[in-house]
Amino acid sequence: MLFTLLGALLIQAQQNSPRTIAIDESLAAKANLRLGDRVTISARPGGDDFAVMTATRAGYTPGVAAPETVVVGAIVRRGADPSEVARGDFLVRMHLDQLQSVSGYGDRVDRFAIATRPSARIGALVERINRVAFGFRAYRSRDIAVETSRTFQVVSRFHRAIGLITIVASSVFLLCIMVLKVEERRRDIAALRLMGISRWSVVQSIIIEAALVAVLGSMLGVALGWAASLFVNWHYQALYRTPLEFSIVTLPIVAVAVSLSLLLGIGAGVLASLRLVRTPPLVLFGR
Amino acid sequence: MRAALAQASLIRHRARTLLAVLGVAVAAAMLLDMVMLSTGMRESFRELLVSRGFDIRLAPKGTLPFDTDATIPDVAAITSVLRNNADIREISPVLGASIHIPVGNRDVSSAVLGIDPSVQGDYEFLSGRDVTTADAIVANDYLIRQLGARIGDTLAVATGYDPQTRTYTGQRKLVLTGRARFIYGAAEQSASAVRRETLEAMEGQARHDRASLFMIRVRKGADPDRVREWIETYIPSVSAISVATAIAQVDQRLSYFRQLALILGAVSLFVGFLLVTTLVTVSVNERSGEIAVMRAIGVSRTHVVQQIVLEGIAISLAGALIGLGLGLVTARYLNAILSAFPGLPMAIDFFLFQPDAVWIALGLLIASGIGAGIYPAWRAASLPIAESLRREAIA
Amino acid sequence: MIDAAETAGAPAEAPIVLLRDVRRDYALGAERVHALQGVTLTVERGDYVAIVGPSGCGKSTLLNLIGVIDQPTSGTVEIGGKRVDDMSDWEATAFRLYNIGFVFQRFYLMPILSALENVALPMAEAKVPREERRERAAQLLAYVGLSNRERHRPSELSGGEQQRVAIARALANRPTLVLADEPTGELDAHTGAEIIALFQRLNADGTTIVVVTHDEDLASAARRKIHMRDGKVVDGHA
Repeated sequence: MLFTLLGALLIQAQQNSPRTIAIDESLAAKANLRLGDRVTISARPGGDDFAVMTATRAGYTPGVAAPETVVVGAIVRRGADPSEVARGDFLVRMHLDQLQSVSGYGDRVDRFAIATRPSARIGALVERINRVAFGFRAYRSRDIAVETSRTFQVVSRFHRAIGLITIVASSVFLLCIMVLKVEERRRDIAALRLMGISRWSVVQSIIIEAALVAVLGSMLGVALGWAASLFVNWHYQALYRTPLEFSIVTLPIVAVAVSLSLLLGIGAGVLASLRLVRTPPLVLFGR
Repeated sequence: MRAALAQASLIRHRARTLLAVLGVAVAAAMLLDMVMLSTGMRESFRELLVSRGFDIRLAPKGTLPFDTDATIPDVAAITSVLRNNADIREISPVLGASIHIPVGNRDVSSAVLGIDPSVQGDYEFLSGRDVTTADAIVANDYLIRQLGARIGDTLAVATGYDPQTRTYTGQRKLVLTGRARFIYGAAEQSASAVRRETLEAMEGQARHDRASLFMIRVRKGADPDRVREWIETYIPSVSAISVATAIAQVDQRLSYFRQLALILGAVSLFVGFLLVTTLVTVSVNERSGEIAVMRAIGVSRTHVVQQIVLEGIAISLAGALIGLGLGLVTARYLNAILSAFPGLPMAIDFFLFQPDAVWIALGLLIASGIGAGIYPAWRAASLPIAESLRREAIA
Repeated sequence: MIDAAETAGAPAEAPIVLLRDVRRDYALGAERVHALQGVTLTVERGDYVAIVGPSGCGKSTLLNLIGVIDQPTSGTVEIGGKRVDDMSDWEATAFRLYNIGFVFQRFYLMPILSALENVALPMAEAKVPREERRERAAQLLAYVGLSNRERHRPSELSGGEQQRVAIARALANRPTLVLADEPTGELDAHTGAEIIALFQRLNADGTTIVVVTHDEDLASAARRKIHMRDGKVVDGHA
């Protein structure tokens, strides 16, 4: 009998002790919350009860949504969702029935998420559900994702456009600087030509020089880009408290950057040197 | 004489000068775009917010207007409280919802605003008749095209729709009385407006005496921030957002673009600087003999530097002018990309042309041109004259 | 026509140039070169001095010190009674502008300016009003026999003509002293003779001239020769 009483008391105590919720890092930081802290959650500011039409099996009935005292049971890090990153929202996770009670939703949800067995035919399943569904509709997750990721698509397009403009601009800069540097060597080139060195030999030597400079420059650029990428991720991950990677340097990207700069560097060198070797050497000397 | 020397020096190497000007133009274009991006959103959003003269917006506590489905209850009570403040001139409660209109065998949905037409600030009325009666609805051109309707048509409008059973709830017959341009509407988005009482009635008990948003116009000369604080004291269930706060919130959401603008702008400026420095260095190295002679015949170091720096400035200025045109073209292209942000009001521009932006970009470029020319020029002008002449003689 | 009074600048009694035990050393890679080793000499007003010697004897270095475009390692240099060896760069530049005219072996005209503009350049620096400097530049070009070449760029002039423009430029601000470093070095014999004649005319009109030269004809045309070897004056002190 004693054990039964104790057992009943324990169950009662468990039922009375506050339930737990999970909050995200941003909220924990902003509201200065730690594990084990007690908080009151309510669907309305002020924490008072408020009247609602609660959904039940019988339909909507009038009721009251009351706040609930809960304990912070976990502090979580949000997933890497780019559309959430700059919004500054907080995330709270609680048991379904808790939220239904606190919000006055009653026996309602916004959506069901369904995980299927690996062998399931998703398309057929969606059709079957929609044939018998009443008051809701089923969609494949990836179809929803396309719709909700429009923000991300716009940002991606913008990045691509900026990337393209940057490449064009960099090409112009590279061309300018290479031409200027080759021009600087006009007297050397003139002296070589006067000595009897052929045009092609002169151009060849400049190509080799330009290629070496381009290779070294590309290597330095890749290193700088990689370091910048690390910094960008460190900065934005800390700022938005997200594991999302904002910048990734991949092998294809490195290959494109290096190839382009090699092409431009050598091309600019060739253009500039061809101009100079066609000019009479004495004119290059300024006579 | 110095300006003439600088000009003649630039003309002497036309191809080189043109190339450098082109490079600076590209840098200038990027710099201008980034300056426009860093201020554009904020400015165009601010213009949008103040366009109808409403100074304060009230949203459910902790939210931004129309950020969530939450609504503010007790509209009548809140309105009565607000009327107690003599600084408040006009109050416009707005209820937002979605409507569905059957057309043939398809359903056309649209956002709808329940407003009071005498104090509304959400749309610019274009033609027809405003929603002066309970059964009137105005729509934007996009919705009218979707419906294939004309002014005067009667529409069966519902606030609820079950696609499975194809049943409508909250349905009512409304007459399309006018066309309007919805200021906060995104492009390719349906929008409409009815009287607030009409929408409340259609939505039923769940939305009775509720509003998504209040828009408030303060008396001329009153301080909106003081009014805002008063509201938050006396009506704790709402967040009162001034234009400045709203802009700050949006700024924070879109801070990524400002930071990007800052970084790319700085890089453009640096590259432009590098270009001018390289050109000036090359030019000066070629002329070390001439520079030594100028110093020998008594031209002061400062004047030599001035002449060389003038060349740098001339290139920067020419590049800046060309870059201005180029920058405006690329800004339009980039703005078109970002305007596709879902839900972004059509009136918002990310790249807003402002004369200030041009002056800032120009100023930065000229300063950069000066800075870029000074060091190589000073170095060249400071070389020992005898040494330079001897090297020239050997060369 | 330039007359003697126009070219005079300093008090009559002090020598125009006075060097006392001047030394000039400079580093050449790891070595130390003693370009001048204790040179003492004077040049009087109205004098025409040629400094001669083998290559590397220090004659150009000596000229540079007199022209205040270099500073001695030790010793003193006076031009027109004024100490110049311890001047700041700014003071030295101003001094050169108003007191010294340079003529170089390679002419060193500004290729982007016309003959007239080249001659006017030192006057522009001296803030002479535009009209006045154009007029004087034209006079100087006429003096050197190039009044019909005012608008020509250096690339459109022969070597001799370029050197005459350079001489006119050297006279722009009525200097106390004209210094010439191998002025006939890049010219053929005939043209060189024209320049030599011009220098003689300048001197006859009262200009004090110091030339450094390998050219025997030019050296012979001078009133006084100073011989140098290994950084020292071996003959021709005054």
